[in-house]
Amino acid sequence: MSKKKISRRSFLGQASCAAVGTSAFLNTALNLGAINTLAARPHILQSTGDYKAMVCILLAGGCDTHNVLIPTESSQYSAYATTRGDLALSNTQGQPAEYLDLMTGAVPYTKNGQTFGVHAGMPGLQQMFSEGDAGFIANVGTLIEPIANKVDFESGLRKVPLGLYSHSDQIMQWQTSVPQSRSAVGVGGRLADLLHDMNSIPEISMNISLAGKNRFQAGNQYNEYSISRNATADNIGYDGFSWWQSQRGIQNDIKRGAIDSLAAQSYDNIFQKTYGELGQQTAQSIEVMRAALSNITPLATSFTTTNISTELKKIAELISVRSNLGAQRQVFFVTYGGWDHHDNVLGSQQAMLPILDEALTSFNAAMKEVGVHDKVATFTISDFGRTLTSNGNGSDHAWGGNQIIMGGPFVGGEVHGDYPTLDLTNPLNLHNRGRFIPTTSVDEMYAELALWFGASPNDLDYLLPNLCNFYASSNCTAPPSSGYAPIGLFS
Amino acid sequence: MTRRLTQALCLTFWILAVSTSLRAQPDTIVIGFGDSYGTVVTTSDGDGDQTLQADGYLPNDNAASRFLSQAALGHGYDEIADVMTMGLEDWIVAEIDRPRGGSLATSVEDYLTFARTETGEPNRNSNITMWYFAWWQYHMQNDDLLRQRVAFVLSQILVISSNSGFSNNGFALADYYDILLDEAFGNYRDLLQRVTYHASMGVYLTYLNNPKTDLSLNRFPDENYARELMQLFTIGTTMLNMDGSEQLDAAGLPIAAYDNNDISELSKVFTGLSWGDRSVFGRNRLRDTSYQAPMQMFNAFHEPGPKTMIDGTIIDNSPTDGDLDITQAIDILFDHPNVPPFIAKLLIQRLVTDNPSPQYIQRVAEVFADDGTGERGNLAAVISAVLLDPVARSCNSGDDVTFGTLREPFIRYMQMQRAFGASTASGNHRNTMSEIYEASGQRPLNSPSVFNFYQQDYQPIGAVEDAGLVSPVFQITDTRSITGYVNALWKWIYNDSPTEPTDLYGGEDNATYADEVSTFAYTGELDLVDDDELHILVDRWNMLLAQGRLSPQSEALIVQAALDYPMDPTDVDDRERRLKIVAYLILSCPEYLINR
Repeated sequence: MSKKKISRRSFLGQASCAAVGTSAFLNTALNLGAINTLAARPHILQSTGDYKAMVCILLAGGCDTHNVLIPTESSQYSAYATTRGDLALSNTQGQPAEYLDLMTGAVPYTKNGQTFGVHAGMPGLQQMFSEGDAGFIANVGTLIEPIANKVDFESGLRKVPLGLYSHSDQIMQWQTSVPQSRSAVGVGGRLADLLHDMNSIPEISMNISLAGKNRFQAGNQYNEYSISRNATADNIGYDGFSWWQSQRGIQNDIKRGAIDSLAAQSYDNIFQKTYGELGQQTAQSIEVMRAALSNITPLATSFTTTNISTELKKIAELISVRSNLGAQRQVFFVTYGGWDHHDNVLGSQQAMLPILDEALTSFNAAMKEVGVHDKVATFTISDFGRTLTSNGNGSDHAWGGNQIIMGGPFVGGEVHGDYPTLDLTNPLNLHNRGRFIPTTSVDEMYAELALWFGASPNDLDYLLPNLCNFYASSNCTAPPSSGYAPIGLFS
Repeated sequence: MTRRLTQALCLTFWILAVSTSLRAQPDTIVIGFGDSYGTVVTTSDGDGDQTLQADGYLPNDNAASRFLSQAALGHGYDEIADVMTMGLEDWIVAEIDRPRGGSLATSVEDYLTFARTETGEPNRNSNITMWYFAWWQYHMQNDDLLRQRVAFVLSQILVISSNSGFSNNGFALADYYDILLDEAFGNYRDLLQRVTYHASMGVYLTYLNNPKTDLSLNRFPDENYARELMQLFTIGTTMLNMDGSEQLDAAGLPIAAYDNNDISELSKVFTGLSWGDRSVFGRNRLRDTSYQAPMQMFNAFHEPGPKTMIDGTIIDNSPTDGDLDITQAIDILFDHPNVPPFIAKLLIQRLVTDNPSPQYIQRVAEVFADDGTGERGNLAAVISAVLLDPVARSCNSGDDVTFGTLREPFIRYMQMQRAFGASTASGNHRNTMSEIYEASGQRPLNSPSVFNFYQQDYQPIGAVEDAGLVSPVFQITDTRSITGYVNALWKWIYNDSPTEPTDLYGGEDNATYADEVSTFAYTGELDLVDDDELHILVDRWNMLLAQGRLSPQSEALIVQAALDYPMDPTDVDDRERRLKIVAYLILSCPEYLINR
């Protein structure tokens, strides 16, 4: 793909091609409190093959993640069960278990006296957690600034995300991390604006989507490269005449040549111009991608045939041929939708979570097979958490929720952040429906991912404009309003 | 409806006084490159608006084609001729008066009867294929062009989708689409009433079998419909001025139109509804055809007591009367000042241009608020106002670089069908529309969610975003769908298979529906592929498909591409190959794809 003509790189000057030198620096940088001391670090464009990739899995519709990660310590569970009513999962003797205990190796995982379970449909996740390959971020959500509790929320003094609890706004804000506006540009896209030059083949975007257009990967300068889960070297690009069709050669040449020429004309109308540029990018990328796809050797790891499994498999295959794509940094995006369970949340999750579990488990194994398990960070996002209280047999839109992290780079076997007591008297509860104010912001999660990925601390204010509301750093003009600390997603 | 004569002419300065047959032989239609068909008279200058102020002036072919690209789901030469002879206003009046075709639900029933007879299984249920066939059959057999286009727009506002809990039921979607066709020129308030009570919406937005609050169980009414009814179907999320701009508070920030307390209150209104053919609340669907009965209210399961609406009105019907609650709540939403600009903008974006000016929105919104007779929500008047607005009709606006819209992939597909005269041997048509869906993700009632195929505020990066503007259809346009669409064109055109007819019930012999398979009729055009006549063909299809928007450079490029294919003029296959090169390239060209 081509770089866009209208560049906004001026904001970064020449210092935009941020990359990190050593893992020692990384460790330091992840302590966000240390940003001050790092502010003057010169940016280095590195090309020595330290590969890194992010895989963002969007659980579209707003997954009811309080039934994915369940509090199991008896008083915590009791609050959970009372509040959830007919939506509560149970683990009663003599009945089939509806959740599985989270373990650290062979012993129950505990954190500050809390213990947890995962939905019984996710045995793979349970095992990956116990082995340190997967973990959670608890009660994370969109925030502009910290909101301490219900009184704080209702005071009118706090900035609240636009369109709170609405699908369209929240799904977008999870991807843009700018909840005060309806921004077109996402976190992955801004990362590409900064880091795309680390990749040596400009025709293929750093951002590869298995889910078509999405906000997460939309940058100021770079579009995502969109590919089908069924893409092969034989079926991508423009179809042509088959060998048995007469006059095929000349017709193929005419057709391709003319399509490219039409796209490449100069257009005044802004929509024609935009379409023409997309058409040109498409044409330029096809041959590169075709060559890469033809180099894929089948993986030994088996994947099921569900869409999400097939998509993660395609990502694993593309990672296996990353050198053919000239890729030192890649951000993959995939969507698994259908989580808006206003109705039948228990039955639907019982059907859908195993599909997610199989896909995640296979992908984790595939990363080990490809030899990049310590280089690929996979995480879920979703529109919002859902109301803890029932609407009959489903749950409605809420706010904070729990997300899954997976892969070698993360500190796994850990529930990061704070898992609140799920009692309706909890000061975090809003509207009496069990809508919890997030205690970890999406910004904090992305900040640690971005630093791990190679963004410079100096770039964080571009990547995450609200981050200063959560941390003090050299880039922040105003001090943070409360004492947020790094989550510690990376060691 | 107010008659306002604002018919503009586009692209050329010619006005047709006489319309002769558009299907005339090539040797009689050629006056020159670019101006075809019939006798012409000229106007004094290039300002289309100034030429239009008297009765008797009629649109030229390009202007008629452009109008139809906004007012129909595809058109051919005959429809252009109709518009050219009738004029835009009379054409619209005739379309509004034209009765709709037969019911889609009845059509599904016919398919089901056929399947039952053929298989000897009298208890067989409908399936989703029957819905696709019913939709397609309707649109191929009926000429209520404007109604079809408006219903398709409404299906993208009042969204339900087969990506949901309808399983394989064919009636759920067909019967719902019937109300969109019924009410296309009706009143938006009536449409909201029918949509609210339709079991398909009840299932889709999960308020069918939604019971009242039970605090002992921590159970509260489902908020899904209350939220989307406000956000997507009536008022939107922020307070609007009549011109569609957001009202701002003292700090310069948009003012929320409602908060979650408003949603909680409104959600109480939509409790107690269940299947229309059930005598008990809370049960599953009784039969295959249950979607055809409007939902009914079971007051014992309806939230009793007062409910505070967004305007502060308290609805309090005692004894509990759920139907009255719903009627009053919808009345309040319908009367909200946001509704005229909110719906006006959605309609303009889907019919004419992605970024309408505040003045354009306001003119249409005012017609929505009052059609001139005091009626609010008169869709016939609103649609007329959208299509006859000076901005929609003026060729000057078409030359504005920010005017226009990326044609929806599904509308391109329909346009190709009608432009190339798709027909079948029997006059019956089958099509699952699977190729366009695979290529673009678009097909009637098949969006990923209630947020439609794309959002109205989507900004593609590049020139559109840099101008601070939006272009929704770009949200489904990327490397994959661009190649997907072009490859679908290749299949439809080069494989001579513009539709995807299939077996209706599993095991049906394809010979039984061979006469329902479409082919394109290129008869007249096949005479226009000789070296010295190719430019006539390109010019003619430029008018038909792109209302003349292809530049001379693009036309020349396409002519040259066809010339590059060395044709034996006596070989029909060769002649078709040239023809197909032209069809394929015009339909792939950015100047066609952007409708302005």
